[in-house]
Amino acid sequence: MTRAVFGCDPKGSAQVPFREAALNQPFFRRVWGGAIGWMNRSRKLGWTDLIFVLIIVALVVGLWHLAVHWEAPPPKSSQEAVDSISLSPLALPLYTFYSLMRGVIAYALSLLFTLVYGYWAAKDKVAQRVLIPMLDILQSIPVLGFAPLLLLVFVKAFPNHNVGLELAVIISIFTGQAWNMTFSFYQSVRAVPSDMHEAATVYRFNWWQRFKWVELPFSAIGLIWNSMMSFAGGWFVLSVVEALDIGKDEAGNPVHYWSPGIGSYLAKASLSDPWDWQAMVLGVLAMTVMIVALDQLLWRPVVAWAQKFRVEEGGAQEATTSWFLNLLRRSRLVSATLEWLGELLAPRSGRKARAGAAAPVDPTQGSPAMAWVSRGLFVVLVGVMIYGAWCLVQLILQLQAATWGVLLVDAFWTLLRVLASLVIGTLWALPAGLAIGLSPRLSRVLQPVVQVLASFPAPLFFPFVIIGLQAVGVNLDWGSILLMLLGTQWYILFNVIAGAMAVPADLKEAARSYNIKGWQRFKILYFPALFPFLVTGWVTAAGGAWNASIVAEFGHDSHSQVLAARGLGADIMKAADGEPEPGAPGAKGAAASKDANYPYLAASVLVLSLVVIVFNRLVWRRCYLLAETRFSITR
Amino acid sequence: MPATTEPRADRLRTSNLCEVKGVSHEFPQPNGQKLRVLDDVTLAVRPGEVVALLGPSGCGKSTILRIIAGLIKPTRGEVFYHGQPLPGLNPGVAIVFQSFALYPWMTVQQNVETVLRAAGRPGGELKGRAEGSIRMVGLSGFEEAYPRELSGGMKQRVGMARGLSVDPEILLMDEPFSHVDALTAESLRAEVLDIWGAQKQRLSSILLVSHDITEVAYMADRIVILAANPGRVRTVVENKLPRPRDYRSQQLLSLVDYLHEIITHSEMPDVPTPAGPQAPSKTYEPLPAALPSEISGLLEYLDARGGKEDVYRIAGDTNREFGQVINVVKAAEMLDLVDTPKRMVVLEPDGKRFVAASPQDRQSLWRQHLLRLRLFKDVFEALKKQPRYEIDRDFVLELIVMNMPQENYERMFETFSHWSRFGDLFVYDEDTEKISIADGLIEEGTKG
Repeated sequence: MTRAVFGCDPKGSAQVPFREAALNQPFFRRVWGGAIGWMNRSRKLGWTDLIFVLIIVALVVGLWHLAVHWEAPPPKSSQEAVDSISLSPLALPLYTFYSLMRGVIAYALSLLFTLVYGYWAAKDKVAQRVLIPMLDILQSIPVLGFAPLLLLVFVKAFPNHNVGLELAVIISIFTGQAWNMTFSFYQSVRAVPSDMHEAATVYRFNWWQRFKWVELPFSAIGLIWNSMMSFAGGWFVLSVVEALDIGKDEAGNPVHYWSPGIGSYLAKASLSDPWDWQAMVLGVLAMTVMIVALDQLLWRPVVAWAQKFRVEEGGAQEATTSWFLNLLRRSRLVSATLEWLGELLAPRSGRKARAGAAAPVDPTQGSPAMAWVSRGLFVVLVGVMIYGAWCLVQLILQLQAATWGVLLVDAFWTLLRVLASLVIGTLWALPAGLAIGLSPRLSRVLQPVVQVLASFPAPLFFPFVIIGLQAVGVNLDWGSILLMLLGTQWYILFNVIAGAMAVPADLKEAARSYNIKGWQRFKILYFPALFPFLVTGWVTAAGGAWNASIVAEFGHDSHSQVLAARGLGADIMKAADGEPEPGAPGAKGAAASKDANYPYLAASVLVLSLVVIVFNRLVWRRCYLLAETRFSITR
Repeated sequence: MPATTEPRADRLRTSNLCEVKGVSHEFPQPNGQKLRVLDDVTLAVRPGEVVALLGPSGCGKSTILRIIAGLIKPTRGEVFYHGQPLPGLNPGVAIVFQSFALYPWMTVQQNVETVLRAAGRPGGELKGRAEGSIRMVGLSGFEEAYPRELSGGMKQRVGMARGLSVDPEILLMDEPFSHVDALTAESLRAEVLDIWGAQKQRLSSILLVSHDITEVAYMADRIVILAANPGRVRTVVENKLPRPRDYRSQQLLSLVDYLHEIITHSEMPDVPTPAGPQAPSKTYEPLPAALPSEISGLLEYLDARGGKEDVYRIAGDTNREFGQVINVVKAAEMLDLVDTPKRMVVLEPDGKRFVAASPQDRQSLWRQHLLRLRLFKDVFEALKKQPRYEIDRDFVLELIVMNMPQENYERMFETFSHWSRFGDLFVYDEDTEKISIADGLIEEGTKG
C-alpha cells in the first residue's frame, strides 16, 4: 500500500476511512498525513507490529551502546585493545551489532556519495571526463592497500576517543562499497530512454522532479543489485580492518589496531593457544546469521518491492517474492510510518506554475544554477588532485631505483598468485557450476548457499589458515594462493551457475538432437555460452584476489612472529609496519622504525594500483569485448 | 459519433496558432560531418484544425514536431507561437509519444498527477483533474493499474490522458497509433476526434505525425506531405471531407488514392534510364535501405502475380509500411530488376532471370548488377589495386560522405555491406573493419 516512496502519490495510497471528520481536514492531513494511518481499522495490530517495535527498541539500545563506545577513550595500550575483546558468547550479539552498524553507516555514506557523484558525472560533460576515469581507477584498485594508511592517519587525528579508529574502519568499508554503486547509478542515469526525458521536458519537470520521478526510479534496480554486491565487499574489508596489526612496539610485539566486532572476535580466537574452537564456530555462525538475515530481512524485500521499477514489458520473468515484505505489508505500524514518510517527502502543493515559455532543457544537463556549483566543485577537485599528486611525487622521489626494481618483481609474484588462484578456482568451479546450473533442482537448493558463501568474508579465516599452513610446513609463498582462493572461487562458481541456468533451452535441445555429447558439447555449446559469465566471474574474483593479497601474503604465527611471502601485498604491510624499503642503503638488518615507512607504503600501493589497472586494460577489457561480440547469445 | 461535422467555427481565426518559418536542422554525425535532416521547412498550425505530417521514414517529421514543442532548437529558421518567436519550450503544447513514454513505476493515476504536479497545479486539484482526464479517454477503473498491466491501446490512452490533463492548446501526436493494433487504432482515432470536437477544453488543434496514409485521410483537415533526405515540404493537400468520416466512403478512398499517387510520383519518378542498362552509372546514387532478401522477395512476389502489380497492392498484401515498400521497389529498380511505369511495378527481363536462376546464378547475376553501380564499381577498382585485396571501412565511408553528403553514411554502409555479401562480391570483417574481395573473385578480379 505504500507506493509513495518517490513522492508519486501519497494521497492515492492513503485509503483511510476516517470516522472523525476532523481528521480529514487539510491541516491535519498535512501535518500528520499517514502517521494517523494506524487508525485505519482495516488492519489490526498484530504480532508483526510487536516485532517491528522490538526491532526499533533493539536498534535504539544498540545505537546508544555504539555512541558510548565511540565517545570512550581508546585503550591505553594495544594489548589492552586485544584484552578488552571478550570471547564470551554473550558478548557476540553486541559485537555483531557493532560490525553491522559499521557496514550500515558506511553504506549510507556510499549511497550518498553514489547519488551526488553519479549525478554530477552524468550531468556535467566537462567534469565527466575526469570523474569517470577516476571512478574506473578507484573501482579496480585494491582498496585494502589504503586501509593501513587510513588507520594510521585517523587514529593520530583523534587521540582521545575511539571515534578515530571507528571512522577509519567505516571509511575503509566505504572504499570497498561505493564505486560499483556509483558506476551503476551513473550508467543508469545516462541510459534513461530519450522519450522519458522528452516527456519530462515537455511536461516541465524541474531537475528535482526529473531526478526523483524519472532518473532515480529508472536506476533503482541496478542500484539495489549493486548495493547487495557492495555489502558483500564491505564485509570483506571489515573483516580485515577490524583486526589489523600495524607496526611494532618497543618490545617487538605487533601493535593491534582492533575495534570490537566479529573480525576482532575471530582474530582473538585465533590468538589463543590452543584455538578457542567454541569462539571460532560462534563467530563464523554470527557472521553467517548476519549475512542471511540481511538477505532475508533487507535485500529480498527490497528486490521484491523494486520490481515495479522494471522497465521492460511483460511478466515472463519469475516474480521475486519475499515473506518478510508480505509480513511488513500486513503490519499497521510499518505502513503508517511509510505513509508518513511519503507525505513528508512529497512536494508541497500550491506552488505557482512557471508562466510562459521556459528555456529548452537539455535532459543531459542539470539546472543552470547547478552548472555553476558543478564548475566550482570541479575546480576544487582538480586542485585537490594536483596537490595530492604533488605530495605523492615528493614522497616517492625519496626512494632508490633499486627499490622500484624490487617492487616490480614483487608485483610479478603477486600477479602470478592471483592468476594461479583464478586457474585453480576455474578448474573446479566450472564443472561444478555447470552441473549445478543445469540441474534445476540443484540450483534451486544450492544457489542461495553459494550466494551466502560468496558474500562471506574469507579473511575471517585467514589467521586460522595461516597458522594451520605453518603447522603442516607450507610457507606463505605458496599458502597465500590458497588464501586468495578461499575468498574468490565463489565468485566464479556463482557466475558459472547463473550462466548455466541461462543457456537457452533450444540450443541445448539442438545439441541433444544432433547427438553432440561430452567434451564436444562443452566445447561448442557450454563454454561459449558461459564465457561472458565466466569473464564477469574472473574480473570479480581477480579484484577480490588482488585485495586479498594484502592480507594473504602477510600474517603472524601463533607466537606473533611475522610471516611474509614475497609479493606486493606483503610490501604494503611491511611498509605499514615501518620496515625499511628493500634496496635502501643499509636495509638489511636495519631495525623497523616505530612509524610507518610512508614512501615505501605509497610506492607499493601505487605499483599495485598501476599493475591492476594495466592488467584490466590489457586483459579483462579484451575478454569483455570478446564476450560481447563473439559470445553474446542475445545479440 | 460526434456531432461536429465541420472544423470548429468558433476557433476559425485568421492568425496561425503556431508557425515554423524557414526551418533547417542538422544533426552532427560521429565523424564531425553534419547530416541535414530538414531543409527550409515552412508550415503553420491554424486554430481549430487537425494537420498531419505525412512522409517516409527519414523525412524528419518527428524532428519538426519536436521543434514545434521547443524540445529541439533548429539550426536555422524560427518558430512562432501566437505570432511571437518561441524562445524555448512551447507553453501551449502536450505530446503524445509513439512509444507512450509512460513511467512504468507509476500507476495510471500517478502518471497523470505527476505532470499536473510539475505544472504547479494546487495539490487539492490533482486528484480530480487526473480522474477527469482518465475518464475522458475511457480508462475509469484503471487508475491504480501499472502501465505494464495494460495493452498498447490502453497505454496510449494513458498517454493521451496525460497530455490532455495539462489542457494544451495544441496536441502533438507522434505516430500515436503505430504501436497499437489495427482495430484498437481505429477506435482510438475516432475517440481523439471526439475529444477534439467536444468544445470543453482549450484544445484547439492537433498536429499528427504519421506514415499511414489512410490514417491521415481519416483524421486531418490538412495534410503536409514531406520528402526525405533532407526533409522538406513536398506539397500540402487540403482535406475538406465532412466529419464524421467513413473509412470506406468513396471520397475517402479516392483521397487515399490521390495521396498515394503524389508520394509514388515523388519517390519513384518516371525518368528514362539515361544510358544503356549495361553501362555503369556515371553518378553516385544513394542506396535505398532495403535488404537483399526483401528485394528478392519482391521479385518472387511479382513473378507469382504475372510480372506486375500496383505498388499499393504490394504494400497491402505484404503488410508493410508504404514507405518501406517504396524503398525496396527503388532498390530493385536501381539494380535494373524492375521498372516502375506510373504506380505499377513491372519485372524486367533480368528480374525474371533472377527468379528462375539457381542460388549460384542468382549470386552472379546480383554481382553483375551491383558492379553497374558507381559505388560498388569504384570500391572494386580500388580493391584490385591493393596488394592483399583489402581496404579499410573508412575508405567506403569517405566515398559515401564525399559523393552523397546528404545521406546517413552509417546506414548506407550497412546496406552496402548487405548487398555485397549477398552477391558474394566483397566480404566485410567486423573485427578488423576491413573490406576484402570475396575469395572466388580474386582470380577474376586480377584478370579483369
